[in-house]
Amino acid sequence: MKINPIFYIAKKELMDNIRNTWIIIVSIIFALLTIIASYAGSYGQGWQDLDLTIVVMIMIVQITISIIGLMLGYASICGEIQRGSMNSLLSLPINRFEIIIGKFLGLGAVLSSTIIIGFGIAGIIIGINVPDADFAGYVLFIGASILNGLVFLSVSILFSSFFKRRTRSMGMAIFIWIIFMPIFWSLIMVMILFASTTTEKITAGIIPDWFYAIDLINPQQAYSALVSTNIVQLPNTISITTPSFYNNGVFLTIIAIWIIVPLILSYILFKRHDI
Amino acid sequence: MKIYYTRYRYPMKPLLEEFYYMDQEINAIEVKNLTKIYDKVPVVNNLSFNVKKGEVFGFLGPNGAGKTTTIKSILGLINKNSGLVKINGLDITKNEKKFKKIIGYLPERVAFYQNLTALQNLYFFAEIKNVTRGECINSLMEMGLKEHAYKKVGKFSHGMIQRLGMARAMLGNPPILILDEPTGGLDPRGVKLIREKIKNLNKNGITIFLSSHILSEIQAVATQVGILDKGILVAKDSVSQLSNKLNMKPIISIDLKEVNEKIIKAVRAIKGVNNLRILGNTIEIMCNPESRAKVIVAIDKAGGSTINIQTKEPTLEEVFIKYTGE
Repeated sequence: MKINPIFYIAKKELMDNIRNTWIIIVSIIFALLTIIASYAGSYGQGWQDLDLTIVVMIMIVQITISIIGLMLGYASICGEIQRGSMNSLLSLPINRFEIIIGKFLGLGAVLSSTIIIGFGIAGIIIGINVPDADFAGYVLFIGASILNGLVFLSVSILFSSFFKRRTRSMGMAIFIWIIFMPIFWSLIMVMILFASTTTEKITAGIIPDWFYAIDLINPQQAYSALVSTNIVQLPNTISITTPSFYNNGVFLTIIAIWIIVPLILSYILFKRHDI
Repeated sequence: MKIYYTRYRYPMKPLLEEFYYMDQEINAIEVKNLTKIYDKVPVVNNLSFNVKKGEVFGFLGPNGAGKTTTIKSILGLINKNSGLVKINGLDITKNEKKFKKIIGYLPERVAFYQNLTALQNLYFFAEIKNVTRGECINSLMEMGLKEHAYKKVGKFSHGMIQRLGMARAMLGNPPILILDEPTGGLDPRGVKLIREKIKNLNKNGITIFLSSHILSEIQAVATQVGILDKGILVAKDSVSQLSNKLNMKPIISIDLKEVNEKIIKAVRAIKGVNNLRILGNTIEIMCNPESRAKVIVAIDKAGGSTINIQTKEPTLEEVFIKYTGE
């Protein structure tokens, strides 16, 4: 039976990361972080329910999963060209599109496995200690976190296809990670807000819709909005008014664009590369 | 149409059989007006040549002549500025996967996945090529790497990597092999192994495109030679035909019992004899093969007694220097 070469490229990426125990190490880190967030995040009141754990975890996911996605993919294309194995690979019956997709799927499987194993183990432990834990919301959180990781993986493959040297690709990956980091991004957004509207309006809570739209350009914010609006239950005393376009469809579309467009661009750039 | 069986060992491997079953007149490799420009400098300039099925085509050229660029263009690894490349009659830009199925490639800089064993590396490439695992083991055995099958490639010596590269190129018995400096960095035993391998593969009908800067290697195995200089093909023919074109005559070395003035005078008088040298009791002359008989008769008439006659054809090195001026 003839299997598409995409499968073999993906399989190799996955097996490489299983062999070097990378998946196990990162899974353990995720599990520990989640358990600590659940147990230590309650100021000594013991285990928190999963939805409260998620609130703490959103920020941790934004910081860790994005950098893991970037580190997984930054050398995927240029590293192989630099090493010299790409010319042998391309002399086989495989095309550049299949290589890009195979790499994405394989590394995506690595990333997804670490998230599922790490958060899964933590979820089970929390579930044992907390009666009637909200598993449905937790599964949604895991799914959204995987999508967030895939965004950064896709972006890193784009850098890897654009730059000829892995050091440059890594530099660009770190730069984009900093830019999209919630702390840095919030700073940029606050500056934009103060430059475009009056302090009185801001203090009165009147924030223009376009501000929310710009904020969602950052896939980390789209992820955060997706998880917050669907999983996190706000107390009745707090109410936040958001624009009409603030819905799951928009969040998911933004995330999907961030996954698909870099992959298309990666293929275009890689096709132009002389190996 | 059964001609293909007469020339090559029977039974043929399936891919090879299909390759020869196609029109014999179709060239294995056809390059037409190929141009590749880097930073406004043409590295390969309007290059055209054909490699016939069953040939060992020696591709020669000084460093930076454009040999590797040509090979990479043939394989579609680099984007050519203009020109056409056909493999077994298939335009490589339109039949990317089809043409790659009938090609094996050994790059100049052979690289593998360092964290995988030799066999794991071959398995990976074999899967993409749709080749069985058994063939990977056979390839390793053929290249004398059986004992190192389970060793990580990161621990391999340069020579072993080169041989593993050759094993990878041979996976699936492709009818065309493109070898870029196959003996680079190998010890004499490794060189001999690869050279024998090339000869055997060609005996079995494999077309070989061999790029090398080692002229003796090309001379030992190539049936046709192309000389590339500054991106232009300056010559293409068999070694003997190339030397004929340059009017390079063979050197005839005649061992005599005794050399005297009479003999030297008689030999010098023959038309077409050049560069007469006397080395003890040996006369060395440069002349056409047809003048050889005249020389022997003249020596005999002059009272000379011939012990031994040797003819040395012009070497590829001499031909190469004449063409490239290096």
